[in-house]
Amino acid sequence: MGAAGIVLRDVHKAYFKDRLEIPVLAGLNLEIAPGEFAALMGPSGSGKSTLLHLVGGLDTPTRGSVRVGESQLESMSESALTAWRSRHVGFIFQMYHLVPVLTAAQNVELPLLLFRMASSERKRRVQTALSIVGLGDRTDHRPNQLSGGQEQRVAIARAIVTDPDVLLADEPTGDLDARTSEEILNLLNALNTEFGKTIVMVTHDPRAAGHAGRTLHLDKGVLDREEVNARKTAAASAS
Amino acid sequence: MTLPLYYNWRNLFVRKLTTLLTVAVIAVVVAALIVLLSFGTGMQRSVGGSGHPANLLVLNAGATAESTSLIWPEDARLLVQTPGAAVGPDGQPLVSLEVVVQTDVRRLRDSSSANVAVRGVDDVGFLVHDQVQVRGRMFTQGAREAIVGRAAQSLYRGLNVGDRVALGRSRSHEYEIVGVFESAGSAFESEIWAPRTMIADSYQRRFDSSAVIRLDNADRMAAAADYVNGPAVRLKATSEPEYYRQLSDQSQQVVYLVLGLVIIMATGAVFAVANTMYAAVDGRRREIAMLRTLGFSRLAIVAAFLVEAAMIAGLACLVGIAASLPFSGLRRDFLSNVTHSVTGFEIVITPGICLAALAAALLVGVIGAAAPSARAARTPIVRALRRG
Repeated sequence: MGAAGIVLRDVHKAYFKDRLEIPVLAGLNLEIAPGEFAALMGPSGSGKSTLLHLVGGLDTPTRGSVRVGESQLESMSESALTAWRSRHVGFIFQMYHLVPVLTAAQNVELPLLLFRMASSERKRRVQTALSIVGLGDRTDHRPNQLSGGQEQRVAIARAIVTDPDVLLADEPTGDLDARTSEEILNLLNALNTEFGKTIVMVTHDPRAAGHAGRTLHLDKGVLDREEVNARKTAAASAS
Repeated sequence: MTLPLYYNWRNLFVRKLTTLLTVAVIAVVVAALIVLLSFGTGMQRSVGGSGHPANLLVLNAGATAESTSLIWPEDARLLVQTPGAAVGPDGQPLVSLEVVVQTDVRRLRDSSSANVAVRGVDDVGFLVHDQVQVRGRMFTQGAREAIVGRAAQSLYRGLNVGDRVALGRSRSHEYEIVGVFESAGSAFESEIWAPRTMIADSYQRRFDSSAVIRLDNADRMAAAADYVNGPAVRLKATSEPEYYRQLSDQSQQVVYLVLGLVIIMATGAVFAVANTMYAAVDGRRREIAMLRTLGFSRLAIVAAFLVEAAMIAGLACLVGIAASLPFSGLRRDFLSNVTHSVTGFEIVITPGICLAALAAALLVGVIGAAAPSARAARTPIVRALRRG
């Protein structure tokens, strides 16, 4: 699959707690181009993760439209969104969320089980994904036999194994030391530049955001400002 | 698409102790059910399987069993005119008058006492009960000799060939056991048989207990029964298989009683499974949310937890079968509240019984996992991921 663009128009999202409405997104407008690497920053409660969940089809907006590629997510049913996620989006979480009883290869294979595919083809794709993240020799290790950085690499392999249009990363380096964080960010960079994946990454870390082509700052549920990473843009133009 | 079975299998051992305890609880239910069904089947085989389809059993009107029935000689004489009665090699109708009494013997297992039926028969008795096969020597009419059924010999003391058993009202007459007989596993195998005239003499009986009439065709049963039940004779006729089936139904009451107990145990096992699966669901909320994020449907999540419960039930079934196997082949007896005598039977664990136990275990597993699985499927994805 290729990359997909993301367009949000007048997106509102509110949660209810004890019958009290808590607005999170308040008329957000946003466009992310196909193949772009965008970082989302902002204080806690600014709506970063909520935005990520809406773009990933895990949640639906209270009002407004969310388009990812050709799909208009706000009008899709829950079961349609479930099927859509399996084909178009790869998720990377801060806590990796690997299944502890499965090996690295079996964790990566999970999303492929949703497709009609020969076992040999599945195994080939799993091996390719693990090789891309540099863990081709750790296929039979369980999560508790891997370091935090290696676990996150397995989670990234799981996110890319179906060749999705969009990768959504929620604080992917939040639980890692500086050196390992750098390795993971370089890996995301490579997925963006070499494989053309559209990546949206939520982060609190300005250094992590520096790996993205553009940083979108959210505040109180709206886009407050955005910065273009000139170094990244220049590098992309040069390549 | 469902999750792979190895995912379910490995998750069983994440909470080893809880899983093993749940397996143990279901295994107890399975073992109890298997022993109960084997017990019931054994009783059914020994009692329910008795009787020849062309035999008409005659008791006095109002009697419910041979042991409480009496047929006076003047009534017995009328039975030779029963329409459809088969004729023996000597040209006489095949009507076997029989005296049925009880004697007290000791069980081999624990020396407790048991009331064994003693049946007095003439030679014609072996023509109407032609499934009876004697090993060793047949008793001699007019002598105090007896043969014992295979089940009786294996369950009670002092019933081997060459032993002498005391019979009679004051147990004053000793009968020598000269042979052992088989009767296709039927209730007769739990009895002692001896010459009718000798038993009548030992027990000072001037009447018989029952008569068995062999008909030349089972289709003539109704006409023969009408004659016996009618004004000419005024006795009670039942086909022999039907008589034993009714005895079997009465003996099955204890099975139903114990089955009630097993159902109560199974209900407890359902709660044990539910408890285990709720713990599994609560411990894996983030994992469930992640699987839903990847694109696994609610149905796939429900199926995953039901499969896990079914695996626990399957394991428990294997353990339960293994635990019940030592009971297979054991011989026991039960006291009928109708005949007031004991009938031996063999506990046999058949593949059918094991399949029934597996079905029951799976049912326990699936019912117990239903609510936890539904809770798993309703896991709110976003909230569960945020808690991480």
